[in-house]
Amino acid sequence: MPGHNTDIEGFHWLMDMVQTLDVGLMVLDRDYRIMLWNGFMENHSGQSAADVIGNNLFEQFPDISKNWFQNKAESVFLLESRAFTTYEQRPYLLRFKNYRPITGTAEFMYQNMTLIPLLSPDGKINHIGVILYDVTDIAIGKYALEAANTSLAKLSRTDRLTELYNRGYWEECLQVEFARYQRTKQTSTLIMFDIDHFKKVNDTYGHQAGDEVIRLTSRTLRSSIRTTDIAGRYGGEEFGVILIDTNAEQSHYLAERLRKKIAALKIGFQQHEIQFTISLGVAEVSPAMSDHAQWLSASDQALYQAKHGGRNQSVVFAG
Amino acid sequence: MPTPVLICDDSSFAQKQMARALPDDWDVTLSFAANGAEGLDALRAGKGDILFLDLNMPVLDGYQVLETIRREDLNTMVIVVSGDIQPEARTRVLALGALDFIKKPIDADKIGEILDKYGIRGAPGQTQPDIDFKVDALDRIQEIANVAMGRAGDLLARLLGAFVKLPGPKVRMIEGRDLHMRLSAIEASTAVSAVCQGFIGAGIAGEAMLTFSESSFADIATLMRHEGEIDDNAELELLMDISNILIGACLKGVADQLDISFSQGHPIILGRHVNISELLDYDTSRWNRTLAIEIEYRIENRNIDCDLMLLFSEDSLDALHERTSFLDF
Repeated sequence: MPGHNTDIEGFHWLMDMVQTLDVGLMVLDRDYRIMLWNGFMENHSGQSAADVIGNNLFEQFPDISKNWFQNKAESVFLLESRAFTTYEQRPYLLRFKNYRPITGTAEFMYQNMTLIPLLSPDGKINHIGVILYDVTDIAIGKYALEAANTSLAKLSRTDRLTELYNRGYWEECLQVEFARYQRTKQTSTLIMFDIDHFKKVNDTYGHQAGDEVIRLTSRTLRSSIRTTDIAGRYGGEEFGVILIDTNAEQSHYLAERLRKKIAALKIGFQQHEIQFTISLGVAEVSPAMSDHAQWLSASDQALYQAKHGGRNQSVVFAG
Repeated sequence: MPTPVLICDDSSFAQKQMARALPDDWDVTLSFAANGAEGLDALRAGKGDILFLDLNMPVLDGYQVLETIRREDLNTMVIVVSGDIQPEARTRVLALGALDFIKKPIDADKIGEILDKYGIRGAPGQTQPDIDFKVDALDRIQEIANVAMGRAGDLLARLLGAFVKLPGPKVRMIEGRDLHMRLSAIEASTAVSAVCQGFIGAGIAGEAMLTFSESSFADIATLMRHEGEIDDNAELELLMDISNILIGACLKGVADQLDISFSQGHPIILGRHVNISELLDYDTSRWNRTLAIEIEYRIENRNIDCDLMLLFSEDSLDALHERTSFLDF
């Protein structure tokens, strides 16, 4: 220890600081007997140094994941190099309960751990030092951020009114699905549909009625498709559904079922009873298409034919 | 008559260290070669009755030189001098006909011992003239990195029980804004996981970054005799175990040679299963130009891709150059 104080005095200061440090310190010998146990370890574990010194770590604390810890520790003994573990690997070595009733954010203390080889006077590594850091606040902060990001991501791809995917995200899905088809040649079909004479609903009964029609359409759509199918709101009253691993014929069947369901709906709005229909265009992906836009345009053409043919019907794209 | 001695090493700093480590009273004519092909030319011209041969070199490496010497039956005695200290490297070169193997950094006493052991050093002649050739500052660091890489490689080899291929570290100055580009050159498009760890000591500081390509996990798990499924958590454990060893040994290798010791911060998991371009959201514009050491670790016959980069902080360059200049003994 540098400085002009005596070594003994310096040693006492150092010991005091080791005892007071808000970091866990312990020393283990080759047989995993506890040789040092500082104040932090005493206070958080509730076991005093006198109770644990000389005892085997795994017998004293049977909850420690023995294999895991031994694996790390052995490499420190053998390779004489430090080892670090993070709370992301295992939340803790020793389960210390949350001790802060006001600002404590977790049930237990998240810990980072450092293992260091300790050189003995004989030049060998007969002991290792274990340092435990309380990283609860960091861990909780990170998990909260991840959760916030996940819910933000969900919000940013969802259409508020219908709770379907919004146009941007849905079109990305279409792109991904087209790329998958090019790779695997597993077929898929795209259905585009829109609500017939929607403008008339808005003009006659008002926008709130229009919103209700859109909401009910999307609810009916959601209940009619499989979980693997991808449904989105493409425009005001236009919707798209990607049916994975499904050909045109199967999709046409689904389109017809959806059309009939919607035609049978009656919406009570104020004193009015509103009925409405949809027109659908169905297009199976094909090797002739070079990008997802062509696929989209094929369904649009079929939808146009359905409108042109008198509405309230579904048409399969003929190529 | 002086003995023709050839030193074949791609680092001029290592050439110089080697030349300086030869016994003062040994009567020799020294020649130098910077790669295996140059070395073979010099041997064919009779410039190397004794050859001190490095292993990791461009154009032709040390192993290829040994094979050619054997095939062409060139008359020379080869002593391999390498930072690759895996026992397997030694076994391989001895099997290829090398007389002995010396670990870098070079130890003059060890050289004398070996020369005496094989009776190579004849009667004392005149003292050789002082050699003085310019050594580039980066070249010194290159050689330090080479030795550190070898030590870390040896630990990795022992951990995995496999032979680690060490193509040699790349040492260069990079611009802050180029860091992304440098990284994307490591791994073009495959997903990677990465760990970073800061280090500091004696005015020299920086951060080590280990990137691990996704496809490596299966083979690493096999080599480490991991039992059970390789799930997310198992991958994280493997990543941390490898980074502890490679970063730790490499930093220790550098520190030992500079006669300093580093404090290491806690490692940070930078990203998992991400494209390398997404890895660094950090603002690196706080520095302009600094030193980077890049090391590739490959395992023979295995699909394991692991890159280590040491990036020094800009303000530690002076201390680093000062420390390394002490090595010009």
